[in-house]
Amino acid sequence: MKTPETLSGEMMEKILEKRSLPSWVKKLDSWTVYAPRKDENERWNYDIAGSDSVGLDFTVTTLPAKALIFPQREIFLEFLKTAAENRETLEVKEVLPGEKPVVIFGVRPCDAKAISLLDKVFSGDFVDPYYWTRRKQTILVGLACGTPPWENCFCLSTEGSPHSEEGLDILLTDLGDRYFVKTLTENGEKLVNRAKDLFKEPRPEDKKKVKAVHAEAEKKIVRGIKGVKKDLAAKLRGMFDSPLWDEESMSCLRCGICTYLCPSCHCFDINDEVDSVSPLHGKRVRTWDNCQFPDFTMHSSGHNPRPDKASRLRQRLFHKFQYFVETYDKIMCTGCGRCVSLCPVGIDIIKVLDKVSDHGS
Amino acid sequence: MDHNVYIPKLAKIIQIKEEVGGARAIKTFRTVFTNGHGFDHRCGQCAMLSVFGKGESMISISSSPLVKDYLQFSILKMGRVTSALHEMEVGDLIGIRGPYGNGFPLDRWKGKKLLFIGGGIGLAPIWSVLQTALANKGEYGDLTLIYGARTSKDIVFKEELADLKNKMTVFLSIDVAEPGWEEFVGFVPQNVLDKKPAPANTIAITCGPPIMIKFVIKALKDLTFEDQQIYTTVENKMKCGIGKCGRCNIGLHYVCKDGPVYSWAELKRLPQEY
Repeated sequence: MKTPETLSGEMMEKILEKRSLPSWVKKLDSWTVYAPRKDENERWNYDIAGSDSVGLDFTVTTLPAKALIFPQREIFLEFLKTAAENRETLEVKEVLPGEKPVVIFGVRPCDAKAISLLDKVFSGDFVDPYYWTRRKQTILVGLACGTPPWENCFCLSTEGSPHSEEGLDILLTDLGDRYFVKTLTENGEKLVNRAKDLFKEPRPEDKKKVKAVHAEAEKKIVRGIKGVKKDLAAKLRGMFDSPLWDEESMSCLRCGICTYLCPSCHCFDINDEVDSVSPLHGKRVRTWDNCQFPDFTMHSSGHNPRPDKASRLRQRLFHKFQYFVETYDKIMCTGCGRCVSLCPVGIDIIKVLDKVSDHGS
Repeated sequence: MDHNVYIPKLAKIIQIKEEVGGARAIKTFRTVFTNGHGFDHRCGQCAMLSVFGKGESMISISSSPLVKDYLQFSILKMGRVTSALHEMEVGDLIGIRGPYGNGFPLDRWKGKKLLFIGGGIGLAPIWSVLQTALANKGEYGDLTLIYGARTSKDIVFKEELADLKNKMTVFLSIDVAEPGWEEFVGFVPQNVLDKKPAPANTIAITCGPPIMIKFVIKALKDLTFEDQQIYTTVENKMKCGIGKCGRCNIGLHYVCKDGPVYSWAELKRLPQEY
């Protein structure tokens, strides 16, 4: 299976008046359009948007955009066992996602970059058809961060930036009354071409302003990790048995927020759900899973290779900053800051990583 | 769309043999694919077995790749899926996907003596490679099996082992003495030290409970085996079988995909997460 085309002939740079955004969305009627919306709990999350409800004045969504491509729960297959005249038949039906294409508006650069990391995980020797069916029909319209959405953003330390283009089809930059629109892929161009009349050529001062907005945003990011990719991976390699993991995981509640809301975490579970026993009818379901739970690695014998909080915190950090780096030459973290801001006990991956950097020096 | 890696093929159980009864029950299942088209596996590879309604479990394929008529799995009743398998009858349908994992590098062992050391259900992963080597006996040096179980009742493949004694050297053991038992009494690593296999031009393949493997390796090292002469298999909890669900890793290795077979030279460098 091929991965999506990410190359285009030439990228386009355009201007879209903010008031024209609904008109653009109206033209995208062959896609299901998602955009951030505040839910009943005052949290930003993606929801299906129409031309009357699309807006991009949001901070950051609680669930990353990955949830629309790699959902929290999805059906793999259905099974039905019937017995007729003493002959048992078993029917197994593959359930692939529907084919209606999707546009997600308002993807933060960190979340888009995370999707490009998931692309690696779900490719390789075994291509994941559920992931790729959605991925190939999803167009990502990013919004550069003019101001970091929260105080714990650290994307500059993870080879990203508030205006990173990685994984995106279009990057929008907010210039006040207008968006600077940069198409990055053929899919991105397709969206712009659907409503050509709405887009204007940028003036030289628009381009200048984009640069200024991007530079300004970078300056506003206050948090960062000391170590760089290679150094951290090398340090971690020698710290498997360090007492640091025990110390840092002491307060962990095992709630799993850090990985459930992480844009790049991909661990999952597969379980059978039975709707009726006779005849046997049910489905096999994939759900997100979490390396911070003891059950995650516990054998049916009761033996557990990662039996304590220390070994599980270590796994989270090692996976992101050593194993993934050695496998794909990328950090499996995009510095979105969710795990830092939302951890109920304040476990701060940035501080832990800085202790790793300081280790032995 | 290419073949969906998560969809198992249907297979019918054509034979069930009770190897061990009681609390540590083991049964051996033979299966054939219902559409007649199966897969080619390598010795030591595993397959993900489905009991629909219960889930999936990764089981090593104990039949040799040379056997084309069926796939064989010897299964210890332990969790949800393996317990459900033990309830099944001949003619019942299960799902199978795979084969998964690296398998034993049998091709690289030609001309060498092979020493198999197993404990309990650990004979199952060994069985495939042992049978394959036996079928091509001329290509290898002496073949020896050192196998043990807790009691004589816990020994798997009892009839096959009796037959095997006519074809190769077989040393058996049980942990505690029983009336009528004439072979070694003690743990498998002790039997290894007792039999003193010579390391020269030999590959040792050991499977069994983690604690047994640990002490077998120690025994082999005492007998001056080199790390790269010792092979073992590792198991961890698995869900996907294809290196994506994230739980079976030992360091950056996914046991389902990069294992389950490791030389001790490789395994000793990985963190102890198994």
